[in-house]
Amino acid sequence: MSAVREYRRAALPRWVMVWFVLDAIVALAPPLYWAFDGVREPVLGLPAAVFYFVSVSTFITASIVAAYLAEARDGETG
Amino acid sequence: MLITFGCIAIFFVLIVLILQFSGIRDRNFTEYAVGGRSFGANYQAMSFLNTWYPGAMFTAFGGMAVSAGVISFYVLSYSLLTVVLMYLMARPVWVWGKTFDLRTQPDLLALRFKSRHIKTIAAVIGIISGIPWLVLGMQALGTLFQHMSLGALTFSEAVIAGVAVIALRQIWTVRMGMRGVVISDMAQGIVAYIGGSAILIGLILWMIMSQGITFASLEPAKFAIPSIGSTEGPLYVFSLILTGAIGGWCWPYIFVRLFTADGVHSLKKSAAVAVPLSLVFGVALLVFGMLGSQVSGVSGAPNDVWFIVSREAGGLWLLGLAGVVVLAASMGHTDGNIQATGAQIANDLVGNYKKLDQAQLIIIAKLGMLGLTILSSWLACLELPALFQLAVLAYQGIIQLAVPQFLGIFWKRGNKYGAIAGMAAGFAVAVALELVYPGYLPWAYGLTSGAVALAVNLAIYVAAAYLLPQSREERQRVEELFALVEQRSSASGGVVPKPAPEMV
Repeated sequence: MSAVREYRRAALPRWVMVWFVLDAIVALAPPLYWAFDGVREPVLGLPAAVFYFVSVSTFITASIVAAYLAEARDGETG
Repeated sequence: MLITFGCIAIFFVLIVLILQFSGIRDRNFTEYAVGGRSFGANYQAMSFLNTWYPGAMFTAFGGMAVSAGVISFYVLSYSLLTVVLMYLMARPVWVWGKTFDLRTQPDLLALRFKSRHIKTIAAVIGIISGIPWLVLGMQALGTLFQHMSLGALTFSEAVIAGVAVIALRQIWTVRMGMRGVVISDMAQGIVAYIGGSAILIGLILWMIMSQGITFASLEPAKFAIPSIGSTEGPLYVFSLILTGAIGGWCWPYIFVRLFTADGVHSLKKSAAVAVPLSLVFGVALLVFGMLGSQVSGVSGAPNDVWFIVSREAGGLWLLGLAGVVVLAASMGHTDGNIQATGAQIANDLVGNYKKLDQAQLIIIAKLGMLGLTILSSWLACLELPALFQLAVLAYQGIIQLAVPQFLGIFWKRGNKYGAIAGMAAGFAVAVALELVYPGYLPWAYGLTSGAVALAVNLAIYVAAAYLLPQSREERQRVEELFALVEQRSSASGGVVPKPAPEMV
């Protein structure tokens, strides 16, 4: 799979790739969502189970916006 | 009824006027199929959202938030993760699309694997899998029209009315092709997701401030996420999000959005524009659904939550606007599906075996769209008890395109034998498992049939990649394809068009 890594390195900054991988981890890793199963204690005003999903969604959204802004700043979005 | 149907009629006429005054004339099939690759980021973003989120978001997923609670948020997780994939795919797919004048998803697979047959297989899977969803989308309009009639129409009459309206709308989709779809997506998307989000937030505030409904009012079961010891299994949510995120790009009408942009920059910018809108809309809709479960009458009809709460809070005017929002979302999804399918019939089926000129391709695409509109309208008016099961089956099957699609884009190894065999085996395994274990597989910790089939598909693709290495010529050809993507000159649109390789 070395070709995959070389290709991606050429296309996107490393920190963007790391953030995108983290997106997948926080959204998919079963132990994370298991931990919030049925938890209703409020976190920032939301029940913890709802807070988990809203946080994951915000984290993914931020990664894409940040990736675009960084690439656009460096003229690399092409 | 005058108010509610009046709102619907005004919106419908507005969309038709926008299309009529846009003065679209398609000079060739690329114009008709992908809008001449001419759209900027804002059009791309709204077109993606309007195709991705159908009107059923307000009914099916709103209803799921009512009845199942927080687990419904999985739809938002995968809807955002899929945009990450879009960001990653933007460059290779757009550059290959522009260079080789690709118009459809099977075009890309045919290019990557140098196979005529993979194009046919992918097109057949895409078209057949899309039909149950198209029919379901049309039937969902029945719910909308029944509410707009204030109960005067029976459900069957409402379905016929809904189908008639959406079928009428297809006149402009058939006439104007992709350019018409994207331009109308902008207007429809603004109404459905920006207007829809504003109404959702207003209704949430109404429920909290006027009705005293909060999360504390909800029963504990609404906060359950299937984990260890659950009925569904601990990997159920993982499976839903994974297959949702990668499966999204297997739908031809979603994938073709990558070809309609005017460059890689626009695609990436559209991702950055679409995700905040998607986040606000998704959170608002699902929180609305959860809280809406406490409104009188909703628990008995969860899929009607959007209409019930709108009418309760704002009377007939708000109900009318709620109907416009659902119609706007439904139009975008249906138009996109029908347009992409028509293009595939011409480009990937007929055009794959018979040399057609530009005018013939456009005529066949239009005839295909017309035929599909008539077929799906007819099916939508029938009582088909197994339709939803067929749709789920189709979804588990179509996501098998993901293996050759993503590995083909990101990995230089891999060949047509592994791609075709993996897809075929994955499709068969997914269908067989779904028929025996509908929903999820209890012995696989809650994985869905599609997820297990993806593993089989992947194993075959990777095994074939190593057991049947590419010839020197093929390796050279694939190297050149990937080199095209890595050239910085392609970044600024400096793509030199080339003929697609001869298919075998």
